[in-house]
Amino acid sequence: MEVLLGITGKDFVILAASKAAMRGPTILKAEDDKTKQLNKHSLMAFSGESGDTVQFAEYIQANIQLYTMRNDTELGPNAVANFVRGEMARSLRSRNPYTVNLLLGGVDPITEKPHLYWIDYLASLAPLPYAAHGYAQYYCLSTLDKHHHPNITLDEGMKLLEMCTDELKRRLPIDYKGVLVKVVTKDGVQEVEFDNNRIVKCA
Amino acid sequence: MTTLTGQPSSEAIGYSFSKATSAPIREHSFYPYTDNGGSTLGITGSDFAILAGDTRSVAGYNINSRYAPKVFKIGGDDETGEGAHILLSVVGFAADGQALKERLDAVVKMYKYQHGKPMSVMACAQRLSTIFYQKRFFPYYVHAILAGLDEDGKGALYSYDPVGSYEREQCRAAGSAASLIMPFLDNQVNFKNQYIPGSGEGHALEPKKPEPLPRNTVEQLVRDAFTSAVERHIEVGDGLQMMVITKGGIEEIYYPLKKD
Amino acid sequence: MDKLVAQYSRPPHQDEFYSEQEQRELTESLPPLSLKFNLPPVDDSRAFLRAMTDDHSNPNCPIKLAHGTTTLAFRFQGGIIVATDSRATAGNWIASQTVKKVIPVSRLSRGEDKPSNEPTPGLLGTMAGGAADCQYWLRYLSQQCTLHEIRHKRRITVAAASKILANLTYSYKGMGLSMGTMLAGMTPQEGPALYYIDSDGTRLPGNLFCVGSGQTFAYGVLDANYKYDLTEEEALELGRRSILAAMHRDAYSGGFINLYHVKEEGWVHHGFNDMNPIFWKTKLEKGEFSNVTSEL
Repeated sequence: MEVLLGITGKDFVILAASKAAMRGPTILKAEDDKTKQLNKHSLMAFSGESGDTVQFAEYIQANIQLYTMRNDTELGPNAVANFVRGEMARSLRSRNPYTVNLLLGGVDPITEKPHLYWIDYLASLAPLPYAAHGYAQYYCLSTLDKHHHPNITLDEGMKLLEMCTDELKRRLPIDYKGVLVKVVTKDGVQEVEFDNNRIVKCA
Repeated sequence: MTTLTGQPSSEAIGYSFSKATSAPIREHSFYPYTDNGGSTLGITGSDFAILAGDTRSVAGYNINSRYAPKVFKIGGDDETGEGAHILLSVVGFAADGQALKERLDAVVKMYKYQHGKPMSVMACAQRLSTIFYQKRFFPYYVHAILAGLDEDGKGALYSYDPVGSYEREQCRAAGSAASLIMPFLDNQVNFKNQYIPGSGEGHALEPKKPEPLPRNTVEQLVRDAFTSAVERHIEVGDGLQMMVITKGGIEEIYYPLKKD
Repeated sequence: MDKLVAQYSRPPHQDEFYSEQEQRELTESLPPLSLKFNLPPVDDSRAFLRAMTDDHSNPNCPIKLAHGTTTLAFRFQGGIIVATDSRATAGNWIASQTVKKVIPVSRLSRGEDKPSNEPTPGLLGTMAGGAADCQYWLRYLSQQCTLHEIRHKRRITVAAASKILANLTYSYKGMGLSMGTMLAGMTPQEGPALYYIDSDGTRLPGNLFCVGSGQTFAYGVLDANYKYDLTEEEALELGRRSILAAMHRDAYSGGFINLYHVKEEGWVHHGFNDMNPIFWKTKLEKGEFSNVTSEL
């Protein structure tokens, strides 16, 4: 019931993650941050089995930082994605694998091109122009199919995200407490304001 | 206490009857179906329709018969099917198929006796659908294809699922080798994924338009479909029974297939 | 022991021939769209049916019924748009790519359903779930609507027609019917009216419905661009585009886009078109579907 959304544009990647932390029928926290910054230019959003999510994200974050410190160089988004996939694949073949789904957004510091990777708990990796995990896939991918273009500006990207969250508000029977939105550009990762309180009516 | 002579009468006092016992009746798992395998196929043309089926009947890995027809004439005047104007093929559970064929045959005959004219194929197709649906909760385990000539004399073909949803089509394969034959038919009858050479590049290529095929071409397609299915499916073989319906009547053709 | 005796004391072949009722049914001139169904001779006929036909709970079930769909209908100022895909699946097998999932419901529109600009009076029903269930019960509904027309000398309202169907499905609740249908029509009393009816017995009037395995994808496009004030062309295009979205994302939907417009005078068919050229036209001319590459 968690929502993860990712959209790339001309020179940015938007990652949005639902703010509700749920355990069974209860919302434990309504301001949860399901994202982790891995290095200056990559951000990872995660959902899945509680406990696994944060453990896996922190493990990845620590190892990416370790690599940067040891080699005094930052991994590009593609390298990060393949490292994460590799770790996920390794965990999958262990006694108790992580059940975590991920979206990885980053901007290559050299080419300044945005990248978005979709990774699931079975360690499938797919580079995509836009991606979603969970129920958001069913409601948002068709909207994105229609309205997304590779060269959209950040403003257009945020409009697109709003279309997606509007649809979720309209059709998802649960309250996911709005989304937390972060944007990756060549200047790094930034949280952006997002109006989650607007009421959307069903047709 | 019990009497074994005569009928137990419900008026008698002191007897307990099966209906009165409230304990649930114990049942063995009820599985009244088996798959007798085989495959059928129908193709229409501008003034004819062909319905064909192999003649093998299997149960598991055993071949029970090498000549068990799956294509039947419907509405004939006698056992030979003389005077019939509709064809039915059934594949799946042979006993259900037999029951279905007999039921439809009875209906088509009664229609003729009552109305003094043969039942149209369109009406027969709808009636077959309701026959199927009457057993919605205890289905006929059968995939049926109905063929005949419509009011304009064109070939008409209707295909059914086991509970009676139906659709008029140009061609249809059913049964165990349907997944082998149907893609071949899509390509060779409806010209799916065929393009006119030199009509353009990439997306501009023009698709080839389907048109009704002549009879000898269709007959050859049917033979090819079955000889191919025999090579790759264990439940298909022994013989190919083809029925061709034209305004001249029904012609039956038998063509031997490999018997391994 | 008495039970045993009772069991064998009946004439041994009493069930083997057609009953009098069955014989009468055979000789009746009209095909009986009756409500009498043959039941298996077991205690729990539902469990039997489920074991034989429900490929969701039992992928090895012997009888695979046709399933899977995207259908949509929405009201707008110019009437109602009804659009569907045309794929029927039995498990993973595509049983047909040419299913007509829009079914005209009325005596007057029985004839051949050819595309034309002449509106045909009557209601439209859509088909999602079991193909046979929808075909059979919408035909039954046609019969009831025709009888209504003959008895009352006026066309049935969509509200009444949908209630007949909903009462019917409710009476069979739990027996294993599977249908999600929308009834669309325009009558002088109601204006454009749209109802959703399913095999649980739900009956809902509304502006906009998508039904079937691809419903969420269709909603995604439809909701984002839906307004009541859409022009006729915009509405037709939105219906077409929503079905295309579902065909692209839902593996159980595909084939041809079937499009209808319900107006005051009746419904108009706007074609049964292959999705493939429409998809590439949409992608190459409008730059949509940027997740699909057009070059190698």
